[in-house]
Amino acid sequence: MNKLPAIISSIQQSGTILLVDAEVEGQGFSALLIESVSRLEWLEVGKSIDLVFKETEVSLARNLQGQISMRNRMKCNVLKVHKGELLSTITLKFKSFTLVSAITTRSINNLKLEIGDEVDALVKANEVSLMKTPQAGIK
Amino acid sequence: MENHLIHIDIEKLMHTANGPMKLTVKTEIGSGELVALFGPSGAGKTTLLRILSGLTDPDKGVVKFGDTVWYDSEKKINLPSQQRNIGFMFQDYALFPNMTVEENILFAQTVKDAKAASELISIFGLNELRKRKPSKLSGGQKQRVALARALARKPQLLLLDEPLSALDAEMRVMLQDEIRHAHELLGTTTIMVSHDLNEVFRLASHVVMIENGEIKKTGKPETVFSDNTISGKVQITGQIARIERQDPINIVTVISGSNQIIKVIAFDSDLENLKLGDQVMVYTKAFNPIISKLG
Amino acid sequence: MDSSFIQTLLLTFKLAFLTTSILLVIGLPIARWLAYSKFRFKPLIEALVSMPMVLPPSVIGYYMLVLYSPKEAFGSFLENVLNVRLAFSFEGILIASVVFSLPFMVQPLQNGLRSLPDSLREASYTLGKSTLTTFFRVQLPNIKPSIITAIALTFAHTIGEFGVVLMVGGNMPGETRVASIAIYDEVQSLNFATANQYAIILFIISLVLLTTIYSVNKKQEAWKII
Repeated sequence: MNKLPAIISSIQQSGTILLVDAEVEGQGFSALLIESVSRLEWLEVGKSIDLVFKETEVSLARNLQGQISMRNRMKCNVLKVHKGELLSTITLKFKSFTLVSAITTRSINNLKLEIGDEVDALVKANEVSLMKTPQAGIK
Repeated sequence: MENHLIHIDIEKLMHTANGPMKLTVKTEIGSGELVALFGPSGAGKTTLLRILSGLTDPDKGVVKFGDTVWYDSEKKINLPSQQRNIGFMFQDYALFPNMTVEENILFAQTVKDAKAASELISIFGLNELRKRKPSKLSGGQKQRVALARALARKPQLLLLDEPLSALDAEMRVMLQDEIRHAHELLGTTTIMVSHDLNEVFRLASHVVMIENGEIKKTGKPETVFSDNTISGKVQITGQIARIERQDPINIVTVISGSNQIIKVIAFDSDLENLKLGDQVMVYTKAFNPIISKLG
Repeated sequence: MDSSFIQTLLLTFKLAFLTTSILLVIGLPIARWLAYSKFRFKPLIEALVSMPMVLPPSVIGYYMLVLYSPKEAFGSFLENVLNVRLAFSFEGILIASVVFSLPFMVQPLQNGLRSLPDSLREASYTLGKSTLTTFFRVQLPNIKPSIITAIALTFAHTIGEFGVVLMVGGNMPGETRVASIAIYDEVQSLNFATANQYAIILFIISLVLLTTIYSVNKKQEAWKII
């Protein structure tokens, strides 16, 4: 799984649905959650958490133009491409972190991705989970 | 049913294959509970069971059963196994090879009562086997005899050391039911050592999770095994049954606590500290699963 | 066959039977203690019990004679208080045989007990049974091959004993003259026919006993000696 350390910047609530905004080295991210029976004690503005999302939820775009609904958008550079028969993984550099995206080999070929290429990595807010960091606290 | 709270507060230095390890257990077990001692092998579960039974002595501490002190290092009290009124089921069943099924059960009774013995024999479906020697029994049959024998003394506390570890999956499920029935029928407080998540979920009302000689968590199975450090709403605990590599991903088969088979895609980095047989949690967000009516 | 021949054989069997019976009674508690004790100096005790297997019979015989001697404390106690003289008597060779055959009774029993899983004993304890009940109702019935082995081996070994009996008992017909000594004696007197009769009987008895041991142990490999 991909893991990005972040700090919660705001929490909006409607019924049991929560929209949590968090920042990773200055860049905003959103996560859509369903609230637990009791609010998790580490889910508070200002706390450090990890944003967690699966490799298969990371879409890639090249020369992305126009408007898009996806809130989580990361400017990345391709570090490594590992091609499988149907599915491939691409290792990306986002700020000081490493991410992995798993997409079909066919898409990789269409995008003509090479090492060093600049791409946008996109994740829907409802695919992002929050995880308590081992020593959660205010940074 | 009398109320017998079991109070355990003991310490023992154990010498394991990985060097010395200190077993420190402080907990209370309610009357009539079916408790699972859960944890990896070598964590001290069996030793704790043996300490409760009086077969192994702790270094220091107190074991109380209701108002009866079973062990107290300061007061130099150490009640021998014979006087603790327990039923202990060994991992290898320890049926006496020189006695038939019936004789094993009769031997176990404090006061000879042929009627009670044949009742037990019927409850556990052993009527046809009563004249057989243990060497002529299958694993599942031995387990039933061992359970019946452990209950023959009408114990106040039933201790089961990995009761089902030697059996195949199908037999396990059957005998899990057997243990549960016996527990429901007699209401005896039961403590069972297990490292099988299925077993714990199916049977236990209370879990004591032991790791490296220490209690890590206690509570109801659902609570002990759910993970509140992650926001994912769909959480399933299970055991890794298979890992298949399909470059560049891995397909991991997990058997859940309720015997469901789940397949999960995992990347190499996910598997760094996972291997076959590991207890894992599979979680996903409430947004992803699709729900539809059965049938 | 003359009467002295029969007398010698009867004496031989009487000695073997009594030695085995006495050893069964004292061997069981010793074997149980050796099988489970955690006593620090247990290896020393085990070594002492096994000494007769490695020492020349003449050494045992010599010490027994010293022990029986009226000049020593034990011997003089026997002679003066109980009015018994053990040297060159049947009782004397009986005691010597008991000492000399001790390991042949104890070792198979000890090995048999050790080969039983601890859980059998422990299961019996958790069922409220005393150590004594457990020993006689759970442990002993499950080491029958070891018991048979111990008895047969002790019996055979006593019949086959020569050196100790000769030193302690000499060669007194009807008192200490057993078959093994008789053979030696007959050969010395060039009575090869009689020697041959004794030899054949001893040979057959030993063969029967050892065959018994190996057949009862065919099923379980637990028993091993020396």
